[in-house]
Amino acid sequence: MVGNGMIASRPLRNALLAIALFIGLAQTGRGQTYEGRELVRAELMAEATAIVPGEPITVGVLLRMAPHWHTYWKFPGDAGLPTEIKWDLPPDWKVGEIQWPIPLKLKEPGDIQIYGYHDEVLLMQELTPPASLTGSTVKLAAQVNWLVCEKICIPGGAKPQLELPVADQNAPANEEFFARYRRSLPQDWPENNVASARWTRSGSEFLLAVESAALANYPVADFFPLPDEKVVVGHPQIERGTTGKVTFRVPIETQDPKLSSLNGIVVFGQDATGQGRNAWTLSRTGPAPAAVLSVPAPNLSGLGKFLLFGFLGGFILNLMPCVLPVISLKIFGFIQHAGQSRGRILRSGLAFIAGIFAWFVGLALLLIVLKSLGREITWAFQFTNPYFVVFMSAVVLVFALNLFGVFEISLPQTANRSLLGWTAGEGDAGSFFQGVFATVLATPCTAPFLGTALGFAFTQPGWVILAMFLAIAAGMSSPYLLLSAQPAWLRLLPKPGAWMERVKQLMGFFLLATLLFLLSVIGAQRGVEAIVWTSCFLLVLSLACWIKGSFIVPTASSTARLVSLVLVLALVIGSGLYFGEKFKETTVPSGEAPLAGDWQPFTPERLQSEIDQGHTVFVDFTAAWCLTCKFNESTVLESDAVREVFQRKGIVKIKADWTNADPAITKILQQFGRPGVPLYVLYPAGKAPIVFPELLTQSMILEKFETVTPQVAVE
Amino acid sequence: MKTKLLLIALTCLASTSLFAADSPAVGAAAPDFSVTDSKNRPQSISQYKGKTVVLEWFNPGCPFVVKHYGSGNMQKLQEEFTGKGVVWLTIDSSAPGEQGHLTAEQAEKQITEWKIKSTALLLDPDGKAGHTYGAKNTPHMFVISPEGKVVYQGAIDSKPSSKPEDIASSTNYVKVALDESMAGKPVSNASTKPYGCSVKYK
Repeated sequence: MVGNGMIASRPLRNALLAIALFIGLAQTGRGQTYEGRELVRAELMAEATAIVPGEPITVGVLLRMAPHWHTYWKFPGDAGLPTEIKWDLPPDWKVGEIQWPIPLKLKEPGDIQIYGYHDEVLLMQELTPPASLTGSTVKLAAQVNWLVCEKICIPGGAKPQLELPVADQNAPANEEFFARYRRSLPQDWPENNVASARWTRSGSEFLLAVESAALANYPVADFFPLPDEKVVVGHPQIERGTTGKVTFRVPIETQDPKLSSLNGIVVFGQDATGQGRNAWTLSRTGPAPAAVLSVPAPNLSGLGKFLLFGFLGGFILNLMPCVLPVISLKIFGFIQHAGQSRGRILRSGLAFIAGIFAWFVGLALLLIVLKSLGREITWAFQFTNPYFVVFMSAVVLVFALNLFGVFEISLPQTANRSLLGWTAGEGDAGSFFQGVFATVLATPCTAPFLGTALGFAFTQPGWVILAMFLAIAAGMSSPYLLLSAQPAWLRLLPKPGAWMERVKQLMGFFLLATLLFLLSVIGAQRGVEAIVWTSCFLLVLSLACWIKGSFIVPTASSTARLVSLVLVLALVIGSGLYFGEKFKETTVPSGEAPLAGDWQPFTPERLQSEIDQGHTVFVDFTAAWCLTCKFNESTVLESDAVREVFQRKGIVKIKADWTNADPAITKILQQFGRPGVPLYVLYPAGKAPIVFPELLTQSMILEKFETVTPQVAVE
Repeated sequence: MKTKLLLIALTCLASTSLFAADSPAVGAAAPDFSVTDSKNRPQSISQYKGKTVVLEWFNPGCPFVVKHYGSGNMQKLQEEFTGKGVVWLTIDSSAPGEQGHLTAEQAEKQITEWKIKSTALLLDPDGKAGHTYGAKNTPHMFVISPEGKVVYQGAIDSKPSSKPEDIASSTNYVKVALDESMAGKPVSNASTKPYGCSVKYK
């Protein structure tokens, strides 16, 4: 059976092979013949004599049609297909859009209108070779597919080629020819005082009113639409008004009730077919969508400011509760060393500093590698994951209990003791690892402005990230550098004593305050029930810490210690699993929850539709766990003065809540080059969006909003 | 929320009913015509009231029509839906002397040769039916509900090309429209831009 099948299929395979060969031949040819006549001939032309690496060159596909036959424009009209050009180039070449000359409007029987070209057309494109281009020549090749029609339509294709030398310099070529076709390209829309265009929609008819003194000189004016895929366009009707005023009525069928304008070109000339025609490109009204925004590169003064923030942040890390145990050990170390030689103290201090730098440089390199791997690194992004927040809560509580003296963290301390022990022999290695250890503990404690600085750094190129981390390391090590250089200043440090215990306990309360904040974040992410289950887990965790502190002590018998350890582990793991399951069942609160005030919840569609309607829109990108956001909202955005100006200017207020890492919001944040919230953007009607700094002030908002012209109803 | 939906629906309705006078708008009553088919039987829209009707503009010489018949795509669709009780009218509006014009005899031969599975092949050499529907392309597709309303107009599928290999990766709008409207659901993509050759009117 199988054998028979294969034999039977052989003729078929031969037939397929023949077809493939035929298509292959047809593609390498440069023209299309039909009943012995050449219908279309395709050729490649370049505007220069040679290709210069890294420099754009304009190349055109020249199509020559047999008399009375036509190929199509980008929008073919009622029937037909636009010509397609697929360049066969290495991926590091950049290919520009096809520049379509003004087409002819052709009418066929049965009220069929199409847009196309008779006789000859040059479709120009800008190609940019890579700067690293080598070799003596380059072979340009493009697969060109077209539909050519007279009374009947025949699809055709060819793969014209052009070989050009690669050189350091080139001279213009085919100048006159390209110049002629450049003159037949539509131009940009002129300044407002030369020509104005206004769209209005009434039901299924779009009205385009064009006013320009220039139009008065031309008897023929027309509108050629370039509709989006989902829009069906009827034939534009032309109404000439008084001098220089033309109204086009365009019947439209679309499912988008908000759409009120089209792309297209306004064509005018002495007659409808002549060479002397001109056209202006009309883009859809409203500001460009946020997707096309580019974020300005940081200037150097901005960089300097952020490096300073990094340095200060690093310094403040020394005061963070989570580094405190290590810091105090180190300080005691200094005090112990007080009697020793200065050179020895300096060396030990430098080793400690080297440890700090090693950690931060390692972290920076890791980030740079991850970034180059294309991974999404966003600062505080992990906070959008509720499980991470629960984990952080547990860590913060355990540290707080430790500071209160419920239990001692024995492992790090023994490690430190042994490290301190090494300092007797190989003191420098010990100091180095102390430095590493201190910074490991410090990393979770990012002071608010350190976070800002890091947030900035994560969007930056590798060297900026490295500079940032070096600044933080320098900040953190600066006190040690000073103390080891000038051990005499150690005298200024307070003597150790009972007060240290009190300070530790006080710090514990700060940590508990942090815990409250983390719980509020969990509430915003998963609701009240999630807070309850998290708190239950934290309670059991506290119990485990207490058991550890009370029974796993050197004085207890080894059996008692073992039993206690098993109990601790059982409590932590058991409650983690049990309450974790409960936690999983909690649901994300509905996104449609009503927002306070007149804020509307964000969706990309809502933003786009408000922009399309010509409204001025303010978007507040925020999250429950973002303290800066909350601060800005309560002191600025919800202040009476700002609320009043929002209302007076008719600005649409949209709140984009990133608490649960809505991917649509992440996308916009990335478009603005932000690794996370806060982000404040004002989309003024018809203008480019304005981005506000992360820390808002009332005067900043009021000033910007005053420049926004009052909203005029579109209807 | 509900009033908002209603408003949107109303504006859609208002906008579609005003659409270009030459093509019946989606949602509007399907206009009637009367022509004869290849078997010399009279064919009209009104005689199929109560049934879902598909109109397919046809020209055997048009490469876009050849794309869908040469690949068997169109016949498969015709077979599937006539099997489900749909009336499928293939209409040739090419004028005498123009590409794709068929006499009754030639039309019968075409049906056999191409294994056309539609209910009937209508001959419309003076373009009466074509002008009534504002048919501009071959293929240009319409779907009419049993209530006599146009529920879809436009392209056969989502990839405007003459290459049969594009069929597999495109969405067949007519199939979607038929499936949706026969399940009593509104047609999600009720109006698309048809693609193909122009109808060869005189």
